[in-house]
Amino acid sequence: MSEINLTLKIWRQPNAEAEGKVETYSVENISTDSSFLEMLDVLNEKLTHEGVDPVAFDHDCREGICGMCGAVVNGVAHGPEKETTLCQLHMRHFKNGDTIVIEPFRSRAFPIYKDLMIDRSAFDRIIQAGGYTNVNTGGTPDANSVRISSQQLELAMDAAACIGCGACVASCPNGSAMLFTSAKVSQLALLPQGQVERKERAQAMVQCMDGEGFGHCTNTKECEAVCPKGISISNIARLNREFLKGIFTGRDD
Amino acid sequence: MWFVRFLTSSIGKKMVMAVTGLCLILFLCVHAAGNVTIFVGSAVFQGYAENLHSHPVIVFIFRVGLLALFLIHIGVGLLLWQEGRKEGKNRYVVNTWVSKNPYAMSTMPYTGLFILFFVLIHVFGFAVAPTHDQMISHVIDDALSNFFYVLLYLAGFAALFIHLSHGFWSMLQTVGINHPRYNTLIARATWVVPGGFLCFFSLIALYLLTTSTY
Ligand code: HEM
Ligand code: FES
Repeated sequence: MSEINLTLKIWRQPNAEAEGKVETYSVENISTDSSFLEMLDVLNEKLTHEGVDPVAFDHDCREGICGMCGAVVNGVAHGPEKETTLCQLHMRHFKNGDTIVIEPFRSRAFPIYKDLMIDRSAFDRIIQAGGYTNVNTGGTPDANSVRISSQQLELAMDAAACIGCGACVASCPNGSAMLFTSAKVSQLALLPQGQVERKERAQAMVQCMDGEGFGHCTNTKECEAVCPKGISISNIARLNREFLKGIFTGRDD
Repeated sequence: MWFVRFLTSSIGKKMVMAVTGLCLILFLCVHAAGNVTIFVGSAVFQGYAENLHSHPVIVFIFRVGLLALFLIHIGVGLLLWQEGRKEGKNRYVVNTWVSKNPYAMSTMPYTGLFILFFVLIHVFGFAVAPTHDQMISHVIDDALSNFFYVLLYLAGFAALFIHLSHGFWSMLQTVGINHPRYNTLIARATWVVPGGFLCFFSLIALYLLTTSTY
């Protein structure tokens, strides 16, 4: 273990309406074994002692599975490590004397609450727009009565790995939520249980996505490159197919 | 109405881009095939042109169709460009690009507008301006004997190459074609198809530049 000193340039914004600006802080003796969020904890402790308002940032599980954390670090959502959430990013990837610029995930559809904390409830509304999924209830079904190939299952699991952190939106030049929406549509489109509502689901979720102010997809692949869960843009192609099928062959009007 | 919902959705607009883009690519293939006659000889090319124009209805349908495709592709393209810019170019203090080759993708509207500029000059020079008693084989040879005219053509073909080096695979992705079995093929075609257009059309321009008696 070694220790490093860093200069941090952090976006400070007291509330959604206020104008924000970048403030510069320094932190000393940061263990290279600590995570990025632990480094921010050290900073906040120092700021609190100095009577300065600590930096607000989202976090919960700190083990890369909940999707709460996230910030743009030196221009890259979740920082420089591939397929790594901010909470799982360790300080050993930085050098002594580095300057790190930390900004919130930005999008028209993600208003800033405070500092690095953003409102991602637009994602919840996209999920809600997808509606319910029919499943058989009643007596315990026979173990292998709903059959699915392991390959199909794996594809559904890959899509379901999306933790909804919003890095895709934050890094897309158009602020598109297509990677997120496509992962959520795919995980159900691939499962035998998701079939009944399939056509309506894709349409409704895309309509909600557009309505929330997310942009269109220009196929830059930037979302895939920064996604901490390695969600593939092949899901976006699947969403495009689902949407096409839904809107051209659906029965709603 | 479902069709309006389709056209006003973000995915629908992208599909319009993809389908009109595909039609324009197909037109370029037909155009290239016809132009092979240039290499066979000036008389054969002249014959091809006259033959083509002896079917005024077909020519008319093609012209109107192409104009419509172009207008839709450009109109929706510029609309999407405008919508994409709502997010703001400098929303971050530090901007880092992680994925590969963003240049073709981020210059789509610019290469597109340059293609438009080229097409306007091309159509004006070879279809609008020539009078009926001028032979088209002489018109193209006269124009493309000029070094700067050829340079402009090469620039136009280069813009098309860059446009399609993103546009080709993007079009397939937009209509939902993305499959591990074909992705390598698609990645190759995304260089081969635009490269083919670039080489073939450039060859015509350079051929006419260097042959003094056509
Ligand atoms: C022969 C000429 C042209 C061909 C063959 C062509 C082909 C294509 C193709 C295949 C795409 C990909 C569609 C997709 O991503 O789904 C595309 C996108 C695009 N084209 Fe063209 N195009 C041509 C001319 C133009 C012109 C004149 C403009 C003028 C502005 C233009 C602007 C655009 C834009 C802005 C996009 C990106 C749309 C987006 O992804 O948001 N193109 N083009
Ligand atoms: S805090 Fe849960 S994923 Fe980072």
